[in-house]
Amino acid sequence: MKPAPFDYVAPTTISEACQVLADAGGGATVLAGGQTLMPLLNLRMSQPFIVVDINRIPDLKGIARADGGTRVGPMTRQADALADETLAKHLPVMVRALSHVGHHQTRNRGTVGGSVALGEPAAEMPATAVALGATIEVQSTRGTRKIPADEFYLGPYMTTLEPDELVTAIHYPDWPAGHVMLFREVAQRPGDFALVGVVGALVVDGGSVSRAGIAWFGMGPTPIKARQAEQALVGQSLSGIDAQAIAELAVADTAPFDDHHATAEYRRTVGKRIFARTLREALQIKEAA
Amino acid sequence: MNAEVPGIGAAARYIGKRVLRKEDPRLLTGRGQFVDDISLPGMLHCAFARSPIARGRIVSIDSTAARDVPGVHAVYTAEDLAKVSFTMHTFFMVPTSVKTPTLAEDHVAYVGEPVALVIADSRYIAEDAASLIEVDYEEEDPVVTLADAKSGQPVHPELEHNIAGQMGDEDIDEDLEAAIEGAPHRVTQRVIHPRISQSPMETRGVVATRDGPEELTLYITCQSPHTIARWVSLALGLPQTAIRVIAKDVGGAFGLKNHPWKEESSVIIAAMLFGRPLKWIEDRYENLTTANPAREQDITLRIAFDNDGKLVASHSEYDLNNGAYPQAVDDGMAAQMFLWSAYKLPAYGFLTRAWYTNTTGLAAYRGPWAMETLVRETALDKAARAIGIDPVELRRRNLVKLSDQPTASVLGLPLEDITPAECLEKLVENFDIAAFRKEQAEAREQGRYLGLGVATYIEPTASAGSMGVMTGELAQVRIEPTGKVTATMSTHSQGHGTATTMAQVIADRLGVPYEDVTVFEGDNSRGGFGPGAAGSRQGVIAGGAAIKASEMLADKVKALAAHLLNANPENITIDEGMVHVEGAEEMSRSLSEIAGIAYGEPDRLPQDLGTGLEVQYRYQPPPMTFTSAAHACVVEVDAETGFVKILRWISSEDCGTVINPAVVEGQISGGLAQGIGMVLLEEMPIDDRGNTTAATYKDYLLPAISDIPDFEFLHANTPSKSIGGMRGVGEGGAIIGPPTLVNAIADALSPFGEIDILELPLTPSRILDLIEGRDISGSAARHQAQAGAQLEAPAAAEAAAPAGQAAAPSSGAETRIDGDWKMVMKTPMGDQEMTGHFETDGGTVSGYLASPEGDQNFTGTVDGNVVKFDLKVDKPMKITLKYNLTFEGDSVSGKVKLGMMGSAKLSGERL
Repeated sequence: MKPAPFDYVAPTTISEACQVLADAGGGATVLAGGQTLMPLLNLRMSQPFIVVDINRIPDLKGIARADGGTRVGPMTRQADALADETLAKHLPVMVRALSHVGHHQTRNRGTVGGSVALGEPAAEMPATAVALGATIEVQSTRGTRKIPADEFYLGPYMTTLEPDELVTAIHYPDWPAGHVMLFREVAQRPGDFALVGVVGALVVDGGSVSRAGIAWFGMGPTPIKARQAEQALVGQSLSGIDAQAIAELAVADTAPFDDHHATAEYRRTVGKRIFARTLREALQIKEAA
Repeated sequence: MNAEVPGIGAAARYIGKRVLRKEDPRLLTGRGQFVDDISLPGMLHCAFARSPIARGRIVSIDSTAARDVPGVHAVYTAEDLAKVSFTMHTFFMVPTSVKTPTLAEDHVAYVGEPVALVIADSRYIAEDAASLIEVDYEEEDPVVTLADAKSGQPVHPELEHNIAGQMGDEDIDEDLEAAIEGAPHRVTQRVIHPRISQSPMETRGVVATRDGPEELTLYITCQSPHTIARWVSLALGLPQTAIRVIAKDVGGAFGLKNHPWKEESSVIIAAMLFGRPLKWIEDRYENLTTANPAREQDITLRIAFDNDGKLVASHSEYDLNNGAYPQAVDDGMAAQMFLWSAYKLPAYGFLTRAWYTNTTGLAAYRGPWAMETLVRETALDKAARAIGIDPVELRRRNLVKLSDQPTASVLGLPLEDITPAECLEKLVENFDIAAFRKEQAEAREQGRYLGLGVATYIEPTASAGSMGVMTGELAQVRIEPTGKVTATMSTHSQGHGTATTMAQVIADRLGVPYEDVTVFEGDNSRGGFGPGAAGSRQGVIAGGAAIKASEMLADKVKALAAHLLNANPENITIDEGMVHVEGAEEMSRSLSEIAGIAYGEPDRLPQDLGTGLEVQYRYQPPPMTFTSAAHACVVEVDAETGFVKILRWISSEDCGTVINPAVVEGQISGGLAQGIGMVLLEEMPIDDRGNTTAATYKDYLLPAISDIPDFEFLHANTPSKSIGGMRGVGEGGAIIGPPTLVNAIADALSPFGEIDILELPLTPSRILDLIEGRDISGSAARHQAQAGAQLEAPAAAEAAAPAGQAAAPSSGAETRIDGDWKMVMKTPMGDQEMTGHFETDGGTVSGYLASPEGDQNFTGTVDGNVVKFDLKVDKPMKITLKYNLTFEGDSVSGKVKLGMMGSAKLSGERL
């Protein structure tokens, strides 16, 4: 369990990093918090020619208010994000989701951007970005792109990020104060990737849902936006919500698979339940008779 | 005032106290010495090229590219290692029953089998080079599962089948069958236990260095440096004195590290060939995918009860996947021996078989026979629900109580002082079952599912003398000229805290402060031979040795002090390092003063007392000491998700004299954690090509601290018959944990029905299967597919059956019985060869069986070509062997009933 030989570079600016990535012609891998990359290197499942360590680029760190939302620098450690007052105020669901990412020890090293960019389908950060309507900002020597999170993920560990591109920010739009937070996951042990999980936010205006952003994790090859459920919720009065029916619509958008830890049927069965339970608890609505 | 310790017969000074562990300051400040901490001048590093396929012929190995990597010193294959004669032995110190190569020779038999060894400047370079070794394989279809083993091609070409070992009767006894089928209540329990990983925190590893032509030093993570030296000596055929083995600290072993296996052996041989120190540290990927795993067993137990819930009869059929090269064949006999030992069962029969497959070979694992407790205790709860009797009451009616003893188990095991019934009573005294049932009923009305599980068991511990490898232990205790105490012990700790518990015992019995005692272990050049940690034995045997040695040493101090102080030895006491004369406080002397005289002033010693203050004592305890326990656990099952939460867990164990409650509770807790892992999380999945598919801890789920409740402990403290009264406690938690938890889950789920087949782990998917009455986990579909496959291949199964099955007597065949026959009996201890001489006279037969152990005469009966006779033997135990032989032409075959050991097959031919 020792990595194959590689070159190591540690640029201090974004443009320098982009230049290295461009020059490498696809042979470089970006090292953020290393919580996934280091094991993959050690297992020799990843054998890049160059490891580009972006830990020394100050511009990639920190959380700030920007453009009617919150901008999270990709190199922000998960532990720092978890303790961040701006996130707690504007995006409480991010804080809730972050508390389920790995363990104290891994969050001290792991980064928000690393998790978003990796695209593990059962992880919390990609699904949260999709649910909240985040935009992923990327840069290369060719220029910059802003990619909506729900168009970013293509498959397990596959994204639209090109080999020469670097994630420079994740921009989360604001959800109005007092919005309703949705979060629940089922994992075999605390800190494990979820067997099934759901994350999202709802805005309730005058007794009706006016905006909904909900995504699944662990329910398919990518984080999956629960579009049918969102559509059914928007415009619906709280008293008229049939949580069970919405949960069924939500599961209809998923494509879970069997693995060593749980079957697809388990994920669908339990997913539907946790979705309905979460919706009822968040909206304080009673089970439909 | 300290209470008297019943096993000691004196007031406790340190025995029974939660003193701080002597090991901890070193370990907690990062100063432990594990194998990877060893770095020797000139040391090089090793990595293995391993087989990517489960079964196939090696056509060629090309290591040219690997050798060309800068920093690579050598690449060895089996051909190179063959320059050193090396025979792989089992845990029992006999050569393995199938030839077990170190590096694969002409074929590979499991995925990950080491094929070549690279020696390089660093592990990085060694791994780079190993990946460049090109091996051309001719791949064959592997035998992976137990079902494959029964119908598939033999894993080992030298065998005609895949049976690694077999005990018991293939055909169930008619009377037993009738007793079971005729009983008013019957229950069947099938348990399928997956393969699990050993996962010690410190993986396997060795630093081997050849210090001279005939001198070898090994730093190896192990369970006893003495056992390693013995094993390596036998494997190499070198005198043991030339082998030094050091293992100061060990990060867990659990059975995996009883002795070296293919990897460590390859490194040892390579070090002898290459001449420079070599290091190999197993990485976690290697550990999970190729280190010897545990379990993978399938047992079906049938139990019959009378109308009062009393046991009538029972039968089990038990299969164990031993992999390709098990460290020692496990045929499940130990499990059978203890399955019903603690219960009053009139009749029992079994068939147990070990199977070879193209998977990594089995190693012992904490409580290797644990399936017996799991299947019995879960079956008893199933029965309790079926009969409508409280599970505690069902056990009460059937357990062997102290007042029933001495007695013997259904298989003839003598029982003198087991206390599972007493542990159970102590448990229920401390747990309000009625209150729980009320809470449970109320919770159910709210849709919450609580469950209570209770289980009892006994465990054979401190085995000594019954198996050659399990010996006594030696304690060498000396009072240094400074008055401080040094002990060199044959013990070895993999986290057991023996340096603490042995110091407690010595301080207590010698009368010195605990801080003044230092225990040295972990090096075969220190102390005497001892098998270390294997079978919950050190506290009992080494503890007894330390007590006796300390008492002998105290007597010497008293004799010397009496002489010096002109007092009666009986009036002298030693306390906290001071020697006192009763009623004469002014005459008190420090132990250091007495020691100074003992070593330095021989003129002042009495004539018959030698100089110095040192004693050694090797303790040979009773052959076996039983530990008993009853545990209770409360869970809540989330019916929506199938998740289990453990709410409470109480252990009521009887390990006799408790030397240190914190150490005892630590042992039980660790075992229970493994038990919880086995029930809820752990499984090493293997695909149909024999690949283990959980290669990291992301996929192989061990219980974490968040999954383990705070355990509560009750200690019964019934002294054993060994010195000090201790009973072993190392493995118990891992044995009784699983059925306790399963029973709690089954109780919680009882409104939904019974768990039909208990397949572990009880994942959330499997729990929902029962709650919803449908196959969410896919387990039922898999069982059906396997059962179907077995039905489709009866011919192959028949062909794979071992030879020697008693053929039906063929009437009219001309068979002459009289004369000499060469015969082989397959026994648990290996093949026994003998010559049988038979003389028939009408319906009677007489003759003798001649073997290297001597001749034994017999008389018996003849019916056609069937001969029956009985022989009584004393070794290895007193049993009557019942021979039933069928003669056909020039061959003879049949069965020999070995009393409690089941049956052995016999075959032979005319001389």
